Amino acid sequence: MVSDAAAQRVATDARSTMKPITESSLSEYLATRVPEWREVQIHGLHRLPLGASRETYRFDLSHAGQDRQRETLRLILRRDPPASNVDSNRRHEYECYRAIYGHGIPVPKMILLEEDPVHFDGAISLAEDLRGFHNSEYQLQNPEWRPKLPRLAEQLWGYMGKLAALDVDKLSVAHFMQPATSESTARQELDYWVAKLEKNDVGAEPITWAAIRFLRRNYPVAQKLSLVHGDFRAGNVLYDDEGNVRAVLDWEMGHLGDPLEDLAWSITRTFSFGKDDRRSGVAPKEVAVSTWEKSSGLRAEPEALLWWELFACVKAQAIWAAMGHVWESGANQDVIMPYAAWWLRNAQDRAVLELMGKL
Amino acid sequence: MRPAVAPVAAFLATRMSLEIVPKLEGFSASNAGMIGAMLQMMSEEWDRAASRLVEENAAIRLLLRRAAEVLGDSSLGAAAAGDDADLRLSSLDAANDMLRRNLTEVHARVEGRDGADARALEEAIWDELRASVARRRISSANF
Repeated sequence: MVSDAAAQRVATDARSTMKPITESSLSEYLATRVPEWREVQIHGLHRLPLGASRETYRFDLSHAGQDRQRETLRLILRRDPPASNVDSNRRHEYECYRAIYGHGIPVPKMILLEEDPVHFDGAISLAEDLRGFHNSEYQLQNPEWRPKLPRLAEQLWGYMGKLAALDVDKLSVAHFMQPATSESTARQELDYWVAKLEKNDVGAEPITWAAIRFLRRNYPVAQKLSLVHGDFRAGNVLYDDEGNVRAVLDWEMGHLGDPLEDLAWSITRTFSFGKDDRRSGVAPKEVAVSTWEKSSGLRAEPEALLWWELFACVKAQAIWAAMGHVWESGANQDVIMPYAAWWLRNAQDRAVLELMGKL
Repeated sequence: MRPAVAPVAAFLATRMSLEIVPKLEGFSASNAGMIGAMLQMMSEEWDRAASRLVEENAAIRLLLRRAAEVLGDSSLGAAAAGDDADLRLSSLDAANDMLRRNLTEVHARVEGRDGADARALEEAIWDELRASVARRRISSANF
């Protein structure tokens, strides 16, 4: 393997207009920001190929404590880019993680939030880095992973069910999340994503608009209000060699809403990385639904689930369109932007046809 | 161009995934993998793009003329104008986008209209949308 040492130290996308994050700039910043970390040294800073909406970096930080003993921390840095396919911000995801931490859903601990873009051209957050695990949806398609998929399915939709069952009044979310009710959430979410689709117009969407019209005629009422992750699928969890989920990541789209939204999102066809009936590349829809129902104690009523599955297609199409749009505008020219728009838009339309009985 | 563009793009995609990606790691490997996959998509699209756009534009123009009669709206006949004489992809694509926007509007109007003619037209629109997805299908897509 070729190791590009320079790329390890100065981890940035060549097309990004943001200033590079370097080991020295990060050390200098942290020495001032966290006075109790003395003699800060950063090692092995490099960007990870995770997601499309935020830049994610991994590094080791060593520092001397008050007793002069050196301590090494493994950390993840997330930075907001100038334009993204997801209109969220560092504080929102940071607060989501903090709200869910300690409530039975495994998540990394948050360390620091810096919202002033003067330091790194965009807000950043630091979190503990849980290393030694996997998060690839592609890897799960290798034959050696087949025997472990039932365990992963149980864990993936089991934790999703636990999240659905949590009492949102006991989570500290009211100070940063938009309020919602069981009656309002479906309309609220649809309005938000339709507006995003219209804002990021990259071409006519006759199939998505047919889905939107159907959704507007058939709003469901949520059986309860939950903390919805917003992007819960196999690609956003860390799993170990046995298929145990060790962390649920990427909470930037977290919101109050109908718990069926997460279930529907996780079973949308475009995340079937095995190109077969296994949703999220892990298990058939029936297994996902029954596991979620057992864990949550809730029922995935078929008509309501269909509504949220179609909604997931609209939301996904809005995100894929936004990726195409931010690339065309030049605001963010990461390779993944046109790639996802090319690869996913037609498949998402096909998923709509299937759900509406038109395929 | 010879060798033809489609097989060359497919060849480059394969070389990228088999030769270059394994020599990289992390973010660079991920980018190179996506570039290879995009070359493969370009290979598929290169050969069929003009054909699918001409076929689709003609099909939508027929639907819009039919909708002009069913909905009693002569402006839809004007929306169906054009003959794709300019076969550059940029021109075909621009016409296609306008035609699909008009089809979206017609679809919504037809859904709200009673009668056998409206139902038959609605089904014909769904048939065309189904065909449009088949025309655009990418072999590497998950679904």
